[in-house]
Parts: sequence; structure tokens; C-alpha cells
Amino acid sequence: MLDMKGIARIYQTDLVRTHALRDLTLTVNEGDFTAVVGPSGSGKTTFLNIAGLLEDFDEGSYLLDGENVAGLNDRQRSKLRNEKIGFIFQGFNLIPDLNVFDNVDVPLRYRGFPAAERKRRIEEQLERFGLTGRIRHFPSQLSGGQQQRVAIARALAGDPRFLLADEPTGNLDSASASGVLDLLEGLHTSGTTIIMVTHDPALAARAPSSIHLQDGRVVGNDEAAA
Amino acid sequence: MEIGPIFRALLRNRTGAILIAVQIAFTLTVVLNAAVMINEQVSKAGRPSGLNEADTFHMQSEAIDTINPQVTINNDLRAIRETPGVANALQMNTIPLSNGGWSTGVRVQQGDDPPVYSAAMYMVDDQAIDTMQLKLIAGENFAASDVVWRKPDESGWPGRVIITKALAKSLFPDDSPETTVGRAILLGESPANIIGIVDQLQAPWTQSSQIESSVMVPQQFQTGSPRYLIRAEPGQRDRLMPEIEAQLAERERGRMIRNLYSMDEVRRRSYNLETGLAMILGFVMVVLLLITGLGILGLASLSVRRRIKQIGIRRALGASTRDVLRYFLIENLLITSSGVVLGAIMAVAFNIALVNAMNFPKIEWYGVPLGMVVLVLLGQLAVWGPARQACGVSPATATRTV
Repeated sequence: MLDMKGIARIYQTDLVRTHALRDLTLTVNEGDFTAVVGPSGSGKTTFLNIAGLLEDFDEGSYLLDGENVAGLNDRQRSKLRNEKIGFIFQGFNLIPDLNVFDNVDVPLRYRGFPAAERKRRIEEQLERFGLTGRIRHFPSQLSGGQQQRVAIARALAGDPRFLLADEPTGNLDSASASGVLDLLEGLHTSGTTIIMVTHDPALAARAPSSIHLQDGRVVGNDEAAA
Repeated sequence: MEIGPIFRALLRNRTGAILIAVQIAFTLTVVLNAAVMINEQVSKAGRPSGLNEADTFHMQSEAIDTINPQVTINNDLRAIRETPGVANALQMNTIPLSNGGWSTGVRVQQGDDPPVYSAAMYMVDDQAIDTMQLKLIAGENFAASDVVWRKPDESGWPGRVIITKALAKSLFPDDSPETTVGRAILLGESPANIIGIVDQLQAPWTQSSQIESSVMVPQQFQTGSPRYLIRAEPGQRDRLMPEIEAQLAERERGRMIRNLYSMDEVRRRSYNLETGLAMILGFVMVVLLLITGLGILGLASLSVRRRIKQIGIRRALGASTRDVLRYFLIENLLITSSGVVLGAIMAVAFNIALVNAMNFPKIEWYGVPLGMVVLVLLGQLAVWGPARQACGVSPATATRTV
């Protein structure tokens, strides 16, 4: 489903050439829940950006759901991102000027679903995450845990092929964090493919498999016993 | 189309949007009414006078001591008419559009207390229609034998006159020009018969509401300061002006040739106020449109800078650069649309008030929609730059924590 081979990403300034990722090879299969861990500066965010088609890479190949993403134009990348990937961000990244309904609606509109279909999907997801009573609330009127649940609902509303979670509990208290992790585990159990980027080993331990990054390279793989 | 969410998001940050919408409304109100006024002034300054202005000029001979003005005038006219390049010439008591001249009250002879119309009085000879290239639409021209000399202390008017179509319509509203010929009128208290109707010959006073009412009488004014109106052959006017000035000065030494102006210059001077007003209003319009455009640009730039992260999130969620561009264009369209709708109402209301209060011209039916379209296009143009800037926001911005 996600197949990266020899991926390299180099940031070049006038004076400095930084290898954010070097020769990264990684495969994530359907139904996997994989944590990508590593210290700050290890290349986790760059990996996330490349995996999520938010950023390009300089070397290697990347097949997403069998499609080679190299050379896609902006429109094709945006479409692929919209259809295949659900993002869960550390800072929730809800749009502050939009209420819960409209926030979940954002990727669905870009997908081009008709209004009735969008409404059905939004209401289904909000009900799934216990947010029906908050449908007209704005992000500033929600707790951190509620905001992250809205973000997960938004990520899932378009039925993506996999979820890409960036430190999904980073801005949450322990109770909310535990709740969000439970949600992710539940999603995984129901068959959703999840890639979670985190610097927290304890969080990574909740994922059945993990990949360790350091200095832009994969330095280890863990596979938990099923 | 994502009009709903954009509109709801706008309502959450409405202060700037409302200010711009109000500015657009104010701009449309001022621009539309200013445009009407400019149009009025330009039309006024460009309306035809009835004579061939392009080839015509005039001058005045000012003698300190003329023994026999009739001889001088006749000699002058003969010399002018014989000058190569001159099509024709005549002596006039006053020049059309010059803002100075003679007038009298004109009324029909029959009826009780008929209305009196103020009309310009042009003393001309039988060459007037040809010299000015007026269009005689009914009746006949003066004969040479009709033309008499008028002394400075003389009052009253000759009994045969040619009037303009507009004056004929005022005097005899139910008659055609043809049936008006032969009708009797009073010039002041002098009885006269209409022998001809010309299509148009404006009075000298450009601000007069009776500018189209003129009467030509077959008289030559016996004066030491005669005014000559000269029509040159096409393309000869500028050459002839100094030539005839020199010729007249040479022919009779001791006199001055003054007020040598082409009719184009006469028109320009007479309508200076209208032209100046139109230019000032045009300048105000341009400045106002520029300020509004800059206001929209400023708001859009600020909006983009404030929403960099949000744009990145939208990009991460699947928005293409085209979607981002469309978002800002639609947002601007909503703001400008509300502004132009408010502005259209304000402009029409303001115009109605002006029409009622000071006989201001009405906005043409197409003025409001045209103004609305112009301002909406201005808005889209102004927001284009910031919107393109927004398109440059990387989707990776969504994953940045700062």
C-alpha cells in the first residue's frame, strides 16, 4: 500500500546541505498500524510530509496504493492526498473560523461529493465519535480531546486508504491522550491502516510495529507479537 | 462551490470585510453619480452649435476713429471673401458660444398674453447661412436687398426673420417648420414675419436654458468695432487666421485686430468650467477606485498572511492551488457583491435626492449594473495578487508547529 524505496530528501541552502532522509526504504501494508519513532531531527516530519504528499523527495521511489507519486503535478497530488490519506495533526489543525460540521466538510468538498452525501458522511463520523451535540460549535468552544476527535472524524470522513497521524496526542492531557489512542487502536482493529509519527517510545509501544529513525535513516524495526 | 462555509467564515471575521464592503458601496455611490455628472458636462461641452466650427474663426476690428464704418466693413468683407482659401465671411453683432450678445423676448402676435421666449439676436447678412453652413429646413434665406444697416442708437427690428427650429417649436408647438414659415411674431414690440427656419444655431450663452432659441435678422451693425466670422476652406483655417489679421491691419492702419480666435478655441473657453469639472470628477473617481482597490488588496494580503497555516491545512486536506485561488476569489466576490448591492441602492437613492433637489441628471439604466460589474472586476483584480501568494503556501505548512 505504501512502498518507499531509497527515498532521500536534501535541504540545500547556500552554505549548508542537510540530508533529512537518506536511503529510506519502508513498506506499510493494508491494515498495519506502524509507529515511526525517533528523536527530534531524526527525519520523522520529513518522512510524514513525503508519505502524506505534502512535500517532494529528491531520490528514490514512492508507490502509494500502487501509484508512482513521482512526477505528479499539483492537482494530481492534491487529489491523491485527498482520496487516499487522512491526516491527524499534533495541533489538531482545525480551521478556527469554521464550525465542527464545516471542518469535517472541508476534505469532502475538495473531493467533490454532492451535498447530501457529504452531510451523511459528516453526521455518521460525528456520531461515531460522540460529537453530534457539538456540530455547530467552533474549535475554540471544544476541549483538546474533542478537537482531536473532530480531526479524526475529518480524517476518516472521506474513507481514506490510510491515516497519517503526527504526534496525535502531543497536545493532549493524559486522559484525552489515552482516549485518542484507544480510538486509534479501535480503528486499527476495524481494519484501518495507520502510520503514526511520534517521538514518544511509550506511545509507539501501543502500535503493533514501529520503525526507528535516526539522522534520516531507518535504524531499526520492531514487530510486536500479535 | 463552497460559498456557504466561506460566507460563514467571513461572518466570524466581519469587521474588515464590512469596512471594505462599505467602502465599495461608498465608492459606487460617488462613482456612479460622478460619472453621470461627467457625462452631463462632457455632453454639454460637446453638443453641436449648428455651425461649422472646425473651419471657422472670428476676429474683431477695433478702430480708434472710423469716419465711415459702413465703407470699412464692406471693404473688409470684400477683401476677406476674396482672399484665397476663404469660403465665406460675414459681419455679426455677436459670435455663437462667446457668452456675450444680444437677446430679446419673442412671442406670437395672436392670443391673449402669449408666453414670451428669450432668444438670441444675430444681426447678419444674406451670407450667414452659407458662412456658418447652417441647415435651412424650411422657407428661404434673406435676399441681399433685405439687409439694412443698423445704427448704434437705433431700436426695433426688421420685419423679416429666420429663426431656429427649437424656437419655432416653442412658439408654434402644433406647427411643422414648413407651416411656421410666414407666421407673425413680435420681437420685443417689433412685428416680424418668419421667412425661414434653420435646424440649429445656438445662442452665445452656453449656460442658458434657452440656448437653442435664436433669431437672425437681416441687419449689419454700423460700428467702429465690427466682428467678422470667417469660414475657411477645409484645412486652411490656421493658415488664414494670421494672414487675414495682418491683411486687415495693413488695409487700414490705426486700428487693432482683437479677439482672433478659432471657433474651437471659443468652444474650449466657453466650456472651461464643464471640462474642468469633468476632469476633477474623473480624477476623484480614479483616486477613489484606486483607494478601494488598494483597500481590497490590503485586506486580502492581511487575510492571506493571517491564514498561512489554515491555507496549509486546506492544502494538506486536498485543496489544489486552483482551489486556494478560487477560495480567495469567492471570498472577495462575496465582500464586493454585498458592497456593490448596498452601493447600488445608495447610488440610486442619492441620485433621486439630487434629481429632486437640484435637477441633477438621472443615472442611465445601464449605469448601475455597469458600475457594479466594474467594481466586482476591480475587486477580483485587486485580490488576484494575494490569492496567487496564497497558492504558494506549501501543504507542508500544516505539519509545522510554529
